[in-house]
Amino acid sequence: MTPDDSLPSSGATTPMGHTPTNGPGTPTSPSILELTPDAERVGQAHGTSPITDDESTFATFVPLWRQRLRIFTQNKLAIASVIYIAIIFLFCYLGPVVWHTNQTNQATALFNPENSPPSSHLWLGSDASGYNELGRIMFGGEYSLSLGLLAGFVTIVVGTLYGMISGFLGGIIDTTLMRLLDAFLSIPVLFLLITLVTVFPRTVTSLIVIIGVIGWFGNARIIRGDALLIKKLEYSQAARSMGAGSWHIIRRHVFPNSVSNIVTVSTFAVADAILFLTTLGYLGLGMPLPATDWGTMLNNASQYLANGYWWQLYPLAVIFILLIVAITYVGEALRDAFEVRLLER
Amino acid sequence: MIAYLIRRFLQSILVLLIVMFVTFILPYFETGGITEPAYVILQNHATHAAVHAFALQNGLLKPFYVRFWDYLTQLVFHGNWGYSWKNQQTVWSLMVTYIPRTIWLALISLVITILIALPLGAYQATRRNSIFDYSATSALFILYGVPAFLLCLLIITWFSIGTIHLPTPPTTDSAWLIFTDPKAFILPVAALTLLNLAFLSRFMRSAVLDVLVQDYIRTAKAKGCSSRRVLFHHAFRNALGPIVIILGLFVPGLFGGALIVESVFNYEGIGYQTVNAATYSDIPTVLGITLLTTILTLFGNLLADVALGVINPRVRVEGRS
Repeated sequence: MTPDDSLPSSGATTPMGHTPTNGPGTPTSPSILELTPDAERVGQAHGTSPITDDESTFATFVPLWRQRLRIFTQNKLAIASVIYIAIIFLFCYLGPVVWHTNQTNQATALFNPENSPPSSHLWLGSDASGYNELGRIMFGGEYSLSLGLLAGFVTIVVGTLYGMISGFLGGIIDTTLMRLLDAFLSIPVLFLLITLVTVFPRTVTSLIVIIGVIGWFGNARIIRGDALLIKKLEYSQAARSMGAGSWHIIRRHVFPNSVSNIVTVSTFAVADAILFLTTLGYLGLGMPLPATDWGTMLNNASQYLANGYWWQLYPLAVIFILLIVAITYVGEALRDAFEVRLLER
Repeated sequence: MIAYLIRRFLQSILVLLIVMFVTFILPYFETGGITEPAYVILQNHATHAAVHAFALQNGLLKPFYVRFWDYLTQLVFHGNWGYSWKNQQTVWSLMVTYIPRTIWLALISLVITILIALPLGAYQATRRNSIFDYSATSALFILYGVPAFLLCLLIITWFSIGTIHLPTPPTTDSAWLIFTDPKAFILPVAALTLLNLAFLSRFMRSAVLDVLVQDYIRTAKAKGCSSRRVLFHHAFRNALGPIVIILGLFVPGLFGGALIVESVFNYEGIGYQTVNAATYSDIPTVLGITLLTTILTLFGNLLADVALGVINPRVRVEGRS
């Protein structure tokens, strides 16, 4: 196989030892981004190598993950969602670096007019304390997104471990763990949330832990179902009959084969964590001043809605709702991509 | 089936004990320890003697296991749910007053949600990837993405303060508000319905999608069943199984949603009382409400299992594994 001369630009990004086999006549564009399995898990695209789709040598064989990628990329809304999520992340994390506004010093913020409508100076107006609303959205978004991502991560790790252990070990351990889970699931989430937040101090770490502690129940149940199923499949049984230990089977068979569900569940977990945080903001239990988060901002803004300060609520509300919709949609698209019955057979 | 129900019942009791333990132990982690609520109830200017007297009177100074045992025996043998520190009334009377109000709200909303969500989900599944499916999906996703309190506040702003003037619930603790003032229920019920709609109808859509690819659907089509008969007789009924289980698991969510709706609409139900009790560290009230909600939830799950047995004959014969 010869290096393809039709790939002048992407040649630099092609990893060593990976020779592109894209013939000049193949319909797939060489600039199409390809996902590594790891990147696929989080639905982020980064270029590694062009699609190698040589019909003559591999007429029927298309790797599984590439079929999944194709199903995912066929979904235009999913691609749009990924792009939107990326834009919002850049907006919140890079925005304040490029365009710095005062968001922490209450004294100097008062130089701005309070509750000022949008103008050429203040693009999205200012809030009740005189903070620049556009900068405020970035500033609060940093907290909301970081907390959401980290708390979502905690729920996934805890839920996966719990579900795997319960489903794989089975028997009395499974029954005990599942009844314990029933107990947790029976306590209405908001009761737990209020109690925990009033009990523990409101810092970034404790909010992550609290949302993480509350959010994993459903995940554990889904992962446990997977583990239960995979444990009984032939390849796990075969490994066991060859003398593999439980840990080995979990690591090499159960975990890799339930990755699809874990990925899907994690997208919803992040969306739920961000929503949880918003509810805390409504209860007045969000990030305390001088920090803020989108929940607290939405709550403050909606209290003044009757006064006609629309710029404090609607722009943020639209950004926020679209973000949740986008994350959820990526989750749905991932689930479709992992769905066996949609694969080309 | 009977043996299965008995086993489930015994497990439910175990679950209740765990819930009680968790709720009981949480206040011990507060910064001031278990006497912290005394400062909240008695306000900041309370003397040490007053705090001590309060703690002594409410048995806060006893060891944890003694308190737990006392609470348990009082509850089981005397039906004593404790005494609300904040409201100065028994927790039982508090619950009897406010839970029916929440149940009205939750029940009406649940019925409407089911009536909309199930047909919508099934229809979306049969018209997969059509314009209708896409627009319904987008609308439902937006409803899913809106924080509950924001939806309620927007509803109030647009439909109560705005041009269309619908009343919001008046301040009353009458349980029969639904009959005396049904118009006041429109907005809270609409809010709660919209909040729960997305979840249930998405679930129904994927349940029907799962069923539609099964062999028996193909067989039914092959033998010449009309598409309506395939949908209602074969698909709908088989998709109902997972839905019933979800409905059972849905009860705490319904209460959780009602909590936000109640507190935004100032509708004095049990959720409203819970937010109050939690803010004021009114431990007996929180404990009592949590336990009762847990019981209702477990009952909901049990009911779902029985209903599943009615819908699906296989479950009736084997019991669920």
